[in-house]
Amino acid sequence: MTHTTPETPAPALVSRRAAEVAAALFTGALGATVVVGAREYGVGWDSAGPQPGAFPFYLGLIIVAASLANLVRGVLAGAGGAFVDRDQARQVLAFFGPIVAFVVLTVTLGLYVGAALYLFGVMLVQGKYRWWIALLVSMGVSVFFFVVLERWFQVPLLKGPLEAALGIY
Amino acid sequence: MENLNSLMHGFGVAATGFHLMLMVVGVLLGILVGVLPGLGAPNGVSLLLPLTFSMDPVSAIILLTSMYWGALFGGSTTSILFNIPGEPSSVATTFDGYPMAKQGRATEALSLAFLSAGFGALAGVVLITILSTWVAKFALRFSSPEYFAVYFLAFASFVGLGGASPFKTIVSMMLGFAFATVGMDTISGSLRLTFGFSELLNGVSFLVAVIGLFGIGELILTMEEGLRFEGIRARISPRDVFATIASMPRYWVSLLRSSLIGCWMGITPGGPTAASFMSYGLAKRFARNKEGFGKGRPEGVVCPETADHAAGTSAILPMLALGVPGSATAAVMMGGLMIWGLNPGPMLFIDKPDFVWGLVASMYLGNVVAVVLVLATVPFFAAILRIPFAIIGPVIVVVCFIGAYTVSSATFDLWLALAFGLVGYVFKKLDYPIAPLVLAMVLGDKAEDAFRQSMIMSRGSLAIFWSNPLVTGLTALALTLLLWPVVGFAREWVRASRASALRPLSVRGAADEATGGLSR
Repeated sequence: MTHTTPETPAPALVSRRAAEVAAALFTGALGATVVVGAREYGVGWDSAGPQPGAFPFYLGLIIVAASLANLVRGVLAGAGGAFVDRDQARQVLAFFGPIVAFVVLTVTLGLYVGAALYLFGVMLVQGKYRWWIALLVSMGVSVFFFVVLERWFQVPLLKGPLEAALGIY
Repeated sequence: MENLNSLMHGFGVAATGFHLMLMVVGVLLGILVGVLPGLGAPNGVSLLLPLTFSMDPVSAIILLTSMYWGALFGGSTTSILFNIPGEPSSVATTFDGYPMAKQGRATEALSLAFLSAGFGALAGVVLITILSTWVAKFALRFSSPEYFAVYFLAFASFVGLGGASPFKTIVSMMLGFAFATVGMDTISGSLRLTFGFSELLNGVSFLVAVIGLFGIGELILTMEEGLRFEGIRARISPRDVFATIASMPRYWVSLLRSSLIGCWMGITPGGPTAASFMSYGLAKRFARNKEGFGKGRPEGVVCPETADHAAGTSAILPMLALGVPGSATAAVMMGGLMIWGLNPGPMLFIDKPDFVWGLVASMYLGNVVAVVLVLATVPFFAAILRIPFAIIGPVIVVVCFIGAYTVSSATFDLWLALAFGLVGYVFKKLDYPIAPLVLAMVLGDKAEDAFRQSMIMSRGSLAIFWSNPLVTGLTALALTLLLWPVVGFAREWVRASRASALRPLSVRGAADEATGGLSR
């Protein structure tokens, strides 16, 4: 995945201004969602005092207003250097991509299997370990967590088809 | 001395074999969490919290607070040996701690750091012992409007004194409140803001938010910066430690001043990070001889460490007595208290004296245990950082997601933690402060209840917030703090209209430094 982005001398992938604007739009959208959602439950006054939607309604309005202020300030502040450059973006993606894969694996195969596969993959591909070391470490970590959580603390984690097949429940 | 009697009783509660064992476990886990990048005190406590749901509250809080002390110590270890702060609150320790270690004075720097940290922590606990009953008694006079005013004050002080852009602080804080309103409404019982998703019925857990924002977010940031550990080997010999203990009285001025700064910043929601920076800055300003700061001067280690720990411990005072936590970690612990069915605030002192004084006594014991343990285990924990990041990074990720899942055994929380991780990364890079968001999530329901009850009392008139001298004073103070940035803007604008060329750089630099101070 590291070779998909071409090498270019221009370092900034996302400028600080673009990131500020995107963040302000994002928080503003969240605020607007809260406002719309709160209106469903009444934002006025009834016999029991303020209706359930009132408090979130005003919160949402404040979020939208403050986001607008951030948006204006972000635009006016000038380009302001790089938010993230190409090398950083590559490192962030190389770290974050596997995490997403880990969550997908965990939701489908359970946490222990997901964790073992994730660790194995990262150690093998990014850490350049030999396959049997990666296998040993990843299995070891999973078994360790299994013993600590399921046996000592009696906290059950998400399990998948493998645990079902082995009859561990 | 009513408090002293209560404290003695507290020692009876805290000083059992089981509790001492919990302290040792908590401190060791805390040091581990403090040493590892990406895991800090707030999310260390969040990760451990679900495992304490079934425990007795006194034991649970002893475990969690001990972990907090351990994390504070662990953060300083990596600052000194690796020049990498394990916690944001130990950034200031790197300035002189790492140069000292490079000059072969690692043992001296570490012992100085731990001992002055211990001193600061003790100062904080003594303050709690003396003041807590008094503050709680005062707070007994509070009813809903006063409570809302206190919450308002806590949040206004983030805006006014936080140093980050006030609008960013407001957005972050209000998002926290908004997340807290998702799910069941505590007064009317109706469901709010679930948008038809059954996953949202139980609300958004602040624990999952902390794990994502602080844990995953911080890890991504660490990866982006390209982490490299170039450590200095340290072996602690008892002789050097005793020599350092003997030298401690020499720094009494620094110790006292830094303790005061720390206690103040801990009680007000300034937090340990801001306290340590401030203490370092003041040490530099007051030093007769300014040479040597940043090149390995002992005061440069003593001051930030003392203030850091004094703030960390005294943050417990407003949490216990008022129900307003003074730091992100204290906020997480307060959330824990509420999950265990305790109601932080003045009534806690009347209803559960065993819990309160057991906790206070455990803070004395826990900090002594922590100083001894951290001195004994430094070489071992330093060795952990020599494990390559390709292994340790993913393991931390796994721990974070396990923690997120254990909160309520919901797969949805895994996605939520992932989303909060991304938000945390972007927010940190753009100087949105994260601590107010966490505080707001924990306090959200209480603040809303206080507001709605006040409104019911006054039949919808906001005038209730200046209906008596107490609530008027609180509201006035809060409004002053809230409007403080306007003064700053005005000054900035006047200055800008006079000369504009150099301004943006210096303003941005100052803001960056200050946000670093409040991100925890």
